[in-house]
Amino acid sequence: MIARWSPASILLHWASAVVIVALLAVGWSMSRLFDSATRFDLYQLHKSLGVLALALYLARLAARRLAKAPPPFPGPAWEMRAAHWTHFTLYALTGGAILAGWIAASSAPLPIPTIVFGLFPWPDIAPRDPTVFALASLAHAWAAYGLAGLVALHAGAALKHALWDRDGALRRMV
Amino acid sequence: MRTMKLCFAAALSLGAFAAFAKSNWVIDPARTQIKFAVDAAGWPRTSGVFHKFDGRISVDFERPERSHVDFTVQTNSVDLGSASFDSFVRGVAMLDSDKFPTMSFTSNKVEKTSDKTVHVEGDLTMRGVTKPLGVDVDVRRVAGRLEFSAHAHLDRLGWDFNSGFPIISRDVEIDITSAAKET
Repeated sequence: MIARWSPASILLHWASAVVIVALLAVGWSMSRLFDSATRFDLYQLHKSLGVLALALYLARLAARRLAKAPPPFPGPAWEMRAAHWTHFTLYALTGGAILAGWIAASSAPLPIPTIVFGLFPWPDIAPRDPTVFALASLAHAWAAYGLAGLVALHAGAALKHALWDRDGALRRMV
Repeated sequence: MRTMKLCFAAALSLGAFAAFAKSNWVIDPARTQIKFAVDAAGWPRTSGVFHKFDGRISVDFERPERSHVDFTVQTNSVDLGSASFDSFVRGVAMLDSDKFPTMSFTSNKVEKTSDKTVHVEGDLTMRGVTKPLGVDVDVRRVAGRLEFSAHAHLDRLGWDFNSGFPIISRDVEIDITSAAKET
């Protein structure tokens, strides 16, 4: 019998996965591709998805606390350490990227409001300051690059367990 | 806007129409396009159009300097190709359409510079600030219409329109093509 994650955690995990991958894709392309008007829309979409990611992030932490996380999946010590470190860093970088993105959007020299999915305005949490904006943007970008790398590692490891080891590790989260 | 006025003025000033003396023309919206473009650091060029405007031209072909152009643009008709971008540009940080619903140009001097061109000097009012602006206008008379085109640059800082500067350039490029019908 495999110890699985709670249904709430499983649902929130996959919803977060979709939103985070979309954020990485939109975030990378919006500052490199497309015309001015499309970029403006993509920035709004990115900020809206960021707010959604924050809500999912907080819900995941709450779900994890309410329904205990299953014990770590057994394996070699190095693999368990690597999994623990990856999971912890995934949480840390997701939270860090969201916070730095929020600060960057708040401190941007141009007062472009964040209207979440075109429905309601989102508050600022930092002063409009070019230095704050530059630092937050840098932190946001590096957190996002780090997160992209870890997402690849995390998904690769899950696929390795499912396709190579066939040990049921992925079953815990589906 | 100024360009349009200039064009009209130029058209009026054309010697070929001297026999008509003073005549009045209105802008034909279907044949008019008011485009603008602005550059910004780290961002592709932003261009847009205004859909709602009104213009009147009075032309004295015998005495071009007595010609006159008035042009008014509804600032909330700005269109950049994205509804959310439009609402930002209409907002207080940019055009502030609620407070300043129109931009207008009124000529105070029209000078014929060649058979097909006029120079129009006038006042442009933008965000409540009125400053002089001069525009060169190409004018043609086609099938009972006056057609004109103007290409101009304006320094928006002159109108205290400094939002986003220096990230967003101070120079605004304006391209106007229009046609007027005699009334």
